[in-house]
Amino acid sequence: MASSRIEVLNQGGYRSDGRKQHELRSIAIDLAPQGVADGAATITHGLTTVLVSVFGPREAKLRSQTLHDRATISVEVGVAAFSTGERRKRSKGDKRLLELASTIKATFEPVIQTALYPRSQIDIYLHVLEQDGSLLQTCINGTTLALINAGIPLLDFVCAVSGGVHVASPLLDLNQLEENDVPHLTLALMPKTKKITLVTMETRLHVERFEEIFRLAARAAEVIHQEMRAAIRIKANTLVASMGSTRATVDGTDRDGNHMDED
Amino acid sequence: MDLDDDEALNSKLTCPGEAITSSHAYMRGHGTYVDSDEVIASVAGTIERVNKLVTVRAVHTRYNPEVGDLVVGRITEVQPRRWKVDANSRQDAVLMLSSVNLPGGVQRRKLESDELQMRNFFEESDLLVAEVQAFFSDGAMSLHTRSLKYGKLRNGQLVTVPPILVRRLKSHFLTLPCGVDLILGLNGYIWVSKHVKENEQEGEEGFDAEAVYSNQNDYIEEATRSAISRVTNIISILASHFMPLTDVVLLGAYEWVVDQDYQAKDLLQEDVGDALVTAMRGRT
Amino acid sequence: MRPPSPSIPEKEFIQISLQQSLRIDGRQMLEQREPSITFGPELGWVECGLGKTKVIAQIEAKIVKPTPERPYEGIITIHSELSPMASTEYDTGRPTEEEVTITRMLDKVIRRSDTIDKESLCILAKRRVWHLRLTLHFLSDDGNMLDCGCLAGIIALKHFRRPEVEVIGDDVTIHPPTERAPVPLAMHHTPLCLTFAFFPPSPTSDTTSALVLLDPSYLEQRLSTGLMSVALNAQRELCVVHKLGGVPMEIGEVMGVLDIAVKRAKELNRLVEDKLEEDWNTRKRIVEVR
Repeated sequence: MASSRIEVLNQGGYRSDGRKQHELRSIAIDLAPQGVADGAATITHGLTTVLVSVFGPREAKLRSQTLHDRATISVEVGVAAFSTGERRKRSKGDKRLLELASTIKATFEPVIQTALYPRSQIDIYLHVLEQDGSLLQTCINGTTLALINAGIPLLDFVCAVSGGVHVASPLLDLNQLEENDVPHLTLALMPKTKKITLVTMETRLHVERFEEIFRLAARAAEVIHQEMRAAIRIKANTLVASMGSTRATVDGTDRDGNHMDED
Repeated sequence: MDLDDDEALNSKLTCPGEAITSSHAYMRGHGTYVDSDEVIASVAGTIERVNKLVTVRAVHTRYNPEVGDLVVGRITEVQPRRWKVDANSRQDAVLMLSSVNLPGGVQRRKLESDELQMRNFFEESDLLVAEVQAFFSDGAMSLHTRSLKYGKLRNGQLVTVPPILVRRLKSHFLTLPCGVDLILGLNGYIWVSKHVKENEQEGEEGFDAEAVYSNQNDYIEEATRSAISRVTNIISILASHFMPLTDVVLLGAYEWVVDQDYQAKDLLQEDVGDALVTAMRGRT
Repeated sequence: MRPPSPSIPEKEFIQISLQQSLRIDGRQMLEQREPSITFGPELGWVECGLGKTKVIAQIEAKIVKPTPERPYEGIITIHSELSPMASTEYDTGRPTEEEVTITRMLDKVIRRSDTIDKESLCILAKRRVWHLRLTLHFLSDDGNMLDCGCLAGIIALKHFRRPEVEVIGDDVTIHPPTERAPVPLAMHHTPLCLTFAFFPPSPTSDTTSALVLLDPSYLEQRLSTGLMSVALNAQRELCVVHKLGGVPMEIGEVMGVLDIAVKRAKELNRLVEDKLEEDWNTRKRIVEVR
């Protein structure tokens, strides 16, 4: 595939972008509302940024697609032409994007409590703004956050992380250079039960090596969960606080002393 | 988590997948599910407890209807003997032909001719105010407009806010002293319009079909128009700062804006908006 | 149009049978349907079947100019389309989700896992390379079309022989098969795809781990709570692991499934080799093959 001129892991144990083997890239999460979406999230892992908007549950657009016992989920992925180094426009029918969308749909279908919303529809729109490896990981984490932000009931967070093996050393959260060069996998985990909902790998790797990186990635997903949870908590806290402050002061008739504490 | 303390249970924040309590001691409510003897949250929000029932109220969500709620909605579709109404809920609401007041007496039978001229009453994209009457088995809500207060909306504009910000009040029909009427729909749709005098609203007969289903706006003075825009802007600013909208807050905010002599347009500047919110927060 | 889903009694019947380790077609839980492999008169033409699932794979080779990005590599393209012939579910036009999955998986298993040594397909750098075109025809769907398609594709590649080419300076001479024996493709390894379906365990049992079965039939595939496809070779190397959503599983469970896959892949590999050899023995009399 790519030329192996760059050194994936140097003698001192540093990767091409200066990270250690097990170091994740910095995570930035923005949960500010976007337009009329019911929930939105922008998540950045290193230099990969994805914007996710969630609409719903709402009336299904096509009556023929409604299910009488649960909500349907639709996922669409768009990639900005400027997201990669080389400017390239991807058409809507691109097989890679369709696969990404159907992967995200299949991942969240058993996690969203769709049975609570018969005949409704939940629409998830993802837009990739920047790409530097670990795209599936970023998309899944972003979708989890946007769904929670929209108040849609989930069984648990879904936290994804990518990992790879260079010669015999496992690496976490790969960037584009590493992804081109080493066998890599992506896994998504539900932190409460520590169960795996998604695992995908596309390059040749020995079973024993696979197990090593698989177990390591599962631990890394829990670290990412902490970050995501903290972001959701901060957001919920500020919203509750801004509602609570007026409730206690302006609307004095409310149950006294019952306003939310800001921790 | 310590559950013996009522205060703790009533004000704690939680996230999906977090265990709240044992399912033996408590019953699960909305926003939770039970897995291996534990009540687990499924949304991010505040834990609320009523006796043995534990619920989690999502901080931000679409409108969850309850019977008796006042909602503002928009017709999306005309179907046989019913209208479909978008009310910011998980499914479109249903307004049956039998749940609206028709010309020629409140208590009369619905005829086939009524069915054929349904678009004369409400057509697609009309706005209306109604009350939640009941639920269908799949959770869709049924509305009714069988009161003189309800019906088609005219003479103003719509603002949308997160539904959680509209609290249940004694009355959701507010009249501000500046000649502006407000209808605070519990679904987060708010109608801001020109004030209509009480006796005009309810005619001699009690029901004037011509006026109720009219599509013509009345004459609105410029002062009233700017008052409407000002109120609309106030509402969107308060909503963007996640301030609950009550009659007290809205009245206070309007007075503050008039005191400071801000025009409707000035409110769109961020510092003015921030100042307004700070002023409202500082009130006691 | 969405096909009607199985009725509730049908679903319950299958689930409860599976909880007692019984499959509706009488197979063991981890037993694959015996693959039926038929070779056509031409080299690189294979019909492969798993039960009633049938796929035909066919290979054509022609000489083209290489792409400017990869001047030293041959080109492989895979064409597959699910037509309404396979099942009424599929429609010409917009691809269904299953079709996207199958196409992408075939691409990953056969092309991206470096099965074929692409550099060996180069005749004259920057000017002449082989273009292999693998066409898969899905004839009928009785579940697990993916495994069947991958198997057919791989066998076709192994079965195929390309004409020998001689390069002297800038001159390229292609020897027809009657003159010189055609040569097999240089293959790095033989990835085989195995699909597992998961079902919820019986509520009375104390384990929470899902029931695992190999090679789901049409109904099993429709009713399962999740699928996992693994492509690997007989050397215990995983090429593709594909578990997209579905029922969540513990790490140990996933590893358990992989262990089973490793064993089955070895058996399947042996079967493929045997079948190919059998076919050569019949052909030797007709043409000389290397």
